[in-house]
Amino acid sequence: MNLSRFPHLLPFFCLVGSFLVAADLSTFPTLPQPGRIFTFPKDHGSHPDFAIEWWYVTGHLRADDGGRFGFQSTFFRRALSPRGASLTNSDAFFASDEIHLAQMALLDIQTGQFLQEERLNRRGWDASASTSNLHVRNGNWRLQISNPVKENRLDLLTNTLPQTSILLEGSIHSDASWNFILTPRKPLVFFGTNGVSRKAAEPAASSHYLTWPRLNLTGILTLKGKPRNITGIAWLDHEISSSQLGAHQVGWDWTCIQLDDGNELMSYRMRRSDGSTDPFSTLAWIDPQGTVQQWGPEAFQWATEAVWKSPRTGASYPSRVLITAPNPLGGPPRSLRLRPLAADQEISGGLSGIPYWEGACEVLDQTGRVIGRAFLEMTGYAGELRRAL
Amino acid sequence: MSGLQRLLWCRFSWRHIRLAPVSSLLLVIILALGVAVYFSIRLANRAAVSSFQNFTDILTAESDGLISAPAGSLPEQTLAELRTTFAATPVHIVAVLETTATRPSSPSNAGSIGSRETFQILGVDLVAVQNLPSARSANQTWFEQQKALAQGSTAVTLADSWGRLSDPHAVFVTARFVLKQNLAIGSTLELVINEQIHLLHIAGFIPTDPARPTPPDSLLIMDLPALQTLTGRTGRLDRVEFVLPDGPDRSHRWEKLRLELVRLAGDRWTVSTPSGRRDSAAIMTLAFQLNLTVLSLLALVVGLYLVVQALDGAVIRRREEIAILRALGVTNSAIHRAWLLEAAVLGLVGGATGLLLGWAGAQAAVRVVGQTVNALYYTNSARAAALEFDEAAVALLIAVLSSILAGWWPARQAASTPPAQLLGRGRSAIPTPQSRWLLPTAVLLALTGAFLCLLPPLRLNGGARISLAAYLTALCWLLSAGFAAGLLPPLAAQLLRPLAQFSAPFRLALSHLRHPTGRHRLAIAGLVCAIAMTAGMAILVGSFDTTLRGWIERTFMADLYLSSDGAQSASTQNHIRPETWRALIAHPSVLDANVVQVAEVQLPGGSTLLMGGNPAFMRSYSRIAWREEPTDNTLWDPAINDSLAIASESFSHRFQLHRGDSLTLPTPTGPKHLKIAGIFSDYGNERGSLVVQREHFERWFEDSQATSLIIKLRTGADADALRSHWRTAYPGLAVFTNPHLRAEALRIFQQTFAITHALELIGILISVVGLGFSLASLLWERRADLTVLRALGVRPGELALAAAIEGILTAAIGVAAGLIASLALGWLLIHRVNLQTFGWTLETDVPVSWLGALAALVIGMAALTGWGVGRWCSDLPAERQE
Repeated sequence: MNLSRFPHLLPFFCLVGSFLVAADLSTFPTLPQPGRIFTFPKDHGSHPDFAIEWWYVTGHLRADDGGRFGFQSTFFRRALSPRGASLTNSDAFFASDEIHLAQMALLDIQTGQFLQEERLNRRGWDASASTSNLHVRNGNWRLQISNPVKENRLDLLTNTLPQTSILLEGSIHSDASWNFILTPRKPLVFFGTNGVSRKAAEPAASSHYLTWPRLNLTGILTLKGKPRNITGIAWLDHEISSSQLGAHQVGWDWTCIQLDDGNELMSYRMRRSDGSTDPFSTLAWIDPQGTVQQWGPEAFQWATEAVWKSPRTGASYPSRVLITAPNPLGGPPRSLRLRPLAADQEISGGLSGIPYWEGACEVLDQTGRVIGRAFLEMTGYAGELRRAL
Repeated sequence: MSGLQRLLWCRFSWRHIRLAPVSSLLLVIILALGVAVYFSIRLANRAAVSSFQNFTDILTAESDGLISAPAGSLPEQTLAELRTTFAATPVHIVAVLETTATRPSSPSNAGSIGSRETFQILGVDLVAVQNLPSARSANQTWFEQQKALAQGSTAVTLADSWGRLSDPHAVFVTARFVLKQNLAIGSTLELVINEQIHLLHIAGFIPTDPARPTPPDSLLIMDLPALQTLTGRTGRLDRVEFVLPDGPDRSHRWEKLRLELVRLAGDRWTVSTPSGRRDSAAIMTLAFQLNLTVLSLLALVVGLYLVVQALDGAVIRRREEIAILRALGVTNSAIHRAWLLEAAVLGLVGGATGLLLGWAGAQAAVRVVGQTVNALYYTNSARAAALEFDEAAVALLIAVLSSILAGWWPARQAASTPPAQLLGRGRSAIPTPQSRWLLPTAVLLALTGAFLCLLPPLRLNGGARISLAAYLTALCWLLSAGFAAGLLPPLAAQLLRPLAQFSAPFRLALSHLRHPTGRHRLAIAGLVCAIAMTAGMAILVGSFDTTLRGWIERTFMADLYLSSDGAQSASTQNHIRPETWRALIAHPSVLDANVVQVAEVQLPGGSTLLMGGNPAFMRSYSRIAWREEPTDNTLWDPAINDSLAIASESFSHRFQLHRGDSLTLPTPTGPKHLKIAGIFSDYGNERGSLVVQREHFERWFEDSQATSLIIKLRTGADADALRSHWRTAYPGLAVFTNPHLRAEALRIFQQTFAITHALELIGILISVVGLGFSLASLLWERRADLTVLRALGVRPGELALAAAIEGILTAAIGVAAGLIASLALGWLLIHRVNLQTFGWTLETDVPVSWLGALAALVIGMAALTGWGVGRWCSDLPAERQE
């Protein structure tokens, strides 16, 4: 089954669904096409003929003073109308055809302090996404590829994609700021079938879903005025779509897992209004060489082991999740237990008005040994999404 | 308070206040009136100044800083440059465009400038404004309320929310405004912007938050690009503001940012802060406010004379009691304190009453002050004056302290005069300066004043000038006149002596003037002060009126004057689009036209107005009143006059530049070096104007929008018919014929003096009441004599007549001295205060008939008061205490 991960659309959909206008497929006829030939570095950039696009980076960090952190930086682009050919000067600076949302979050694992900020801008002088390369920005936040290469091959000697590095600049109010360099350690992977990832039962609900599942990260994190040298591992998604949520979906749970053995796992479970798992749910393993294997919902299970109740929204989120996944190498299924590194990693959704939980976790095996790191996203627990969408 | 002090208060002070409630009440009212006038003017000033706000503060709470062009506007490209420079700096960069708008005219207010409310339209990026930290604390963000509206209505879908926000005519207003105007979300609002009438759609309410300034009802907010399109200012910004995330080192971060902004700026922008802008606005109106405050103190100063007189009268009435108290062993200081306490209580009650009256009066004054500020300085939305507690405290303190000060001498005299002398009923408690000291003191004060008036004004940052030395001169001269007037009663008595033989009451009245008491002199000094200040103001206003009429006569000589119908004051920002004004001046009836463009420019000494016009047109169709006439004939040739400018007199005074001097003018296309070719009289504004050829202005500012058009028609063309035609064809245009504009200019001018007239009236009222008080005290002091006179057969009517004559003569002396002093004061106000503060040379014109009426009124009132008081006193038994 060709499924894609669209839960990251949540805040964006909430925002554009609630406050702006939802994409009208009649004005955005461009849909992901099977067999599309991607051209890089151009396809790392923006695709204005699609309505929805986002670049999502998460990671686990370690500072030179021993501090540990988790972070999320997401840049969304949402077209409201097809980009016109005749732009006035005003349109170039304050375009009304496209808006950009971005979110930054940082968890200080030692103190449990969770910082977050989100930002909304129309396309123009303060937010844009390049169509020729990966260069998206929103205010002083920026994700930009440097030294891009056309090849999407892993250098087996260095285990990296040489010459390609990505700059990520972010901040959260006056509390934190960072400047990271991300270097892919695996080739870009494509989820779905033949380059197209279906999202829901509706035929139009599909996307191109590109991921760098493992990137080395170095840089500087300044927290409360104190700069720290940082190293870490990150995950970067880039998804291109024009679709909307399925009518029956009420929320989803999503995770990306980076195991210490060099494998990654991405999975999401779509939750339907009757409590069942949607057939478009999926699970994918990525091996150390970047080969992807995918399964439908019949092959894996998500189980909630504990619940955390938000003191702000009253929403009860699964705070400990056990995923039973098929073993890509054959043999018995693997049990992966996700344990949040802090209970409170709820995104307030100040602009969208719909809170959700997205946070750093550690991954434990059956014996309770930590075998990797993960990010977990849980939506639709703080109010009905469909009403907002 | 000690037991004795309490006893003195209850039995000595309070008992008398209760026994004479009417006079006590009158005194309280007089004091209250003085405080009320001062307080109401202060509150009205404060309201007008505080209504100048950085409207963006309503959204941002308060920006850390801002940049604006020293001339014209900023190009949008500035934003991209700023973001590139501050690519990694967490700072919200907020672009702002502002304009003004008014409701279209109706038959009832058509052609009446300033009769319609001016709205301030603020254009900000309504999407980006959600990112500001302050947006999170608001009760509802723009989008949330859209959502709420959508959920609450079946007619509005979620999709409509963005649709409404992106509607180029969507406008956000205050909830109060919607309620007051009986409108609703979705209603349309018809407004004149530039010279067009637009239908704006009310899309929602301006979010409010207790931590941010309350938006005035006249504030409208639109999406920035929509406002750019609506005003024809695509690609332009008025300013860019910077909001840093909150944090402990915020001021340090702003300082870093500021330095970088200054480094980047060159001559393209200036960096300031919202508080700096407010301060600049306050400085801009400082002189105007100070003038009003000084005028408002008139009533209080005259009122203080009354307090002295009233307390002195009380000392006279109670001197037997004082003597008894002293005989019983009550110490001098205890009696002194009791009197001071009484004065303080009087001040407190009068002050508190004055605060209530003043607050009520401020609500009326605020509109008049606001209109003047609108006309001369900036668009303000002052509609009501808030009760400012610091101002109230100051006013109350002034009332109590001045009352104590006024009561000091009577109290001291009451305490220090020996009991035997007090019982002797012979002398006033008021110290009577020896006559030989009156003249030298008066001369010394007059000379001191003369010296002070030679001093230059105090120059403040921002170009404001304060005539501090001239105000001190006024004080010296007033005191001098008061002292000098003390010499007049014996002289008058001497002069009128031949007339005494015809009338016993006349003889009686003259006898008192021949040997005037301190009370006489104080009453006359009070009257001199009131008359001098009232008449001095009248001379200023009269001179202004004459000057302005002449200026209007000479300046407005064209046939038609056109501006946007939204231009309700000098500070509105409505323009005429180039396509419109070009079509207008191409009309076959038009012989010649002066297309005027105006921009505010920032010079090193403060901001001023740059006007693009046609000097040759001005010369041809008006008689320019030159202060310094141009000698360079190239001024009249548009092809070669791009380095020349003519300046208004206010400009010349403000920037201390004269014909032949050079200056560097900032423009969006770089600095221009200009030489001043001439200085002309102009009474349109006090910030000064610099006029250059419009074609150069248009090129330098890359802007073709006109502020006004002055049209000269061909011989035989019908101005009224063309006006009607253009009003129909361009409903957003205001078209004035020559007589209509002249009448409007005069009406607006007279409106700005409404407060002055009110102050004059109050001054007259207080001075007349003061005279009544004085006469009553004089007669009370002499009631033993009155008893004797009555015993000798003098009838009450004759006594009343004698009192009336005494009142008339006292008033006449005060009025005569006051009028003479008013000439000096008028000269001072015209040639020093006005010229130094506003830079306007006025022709002196003494309104003789007005002054005559004032004199007649005061003397007539004095006669009536004297007669009434004389009649009342003649009926009093000598033994009666009160």
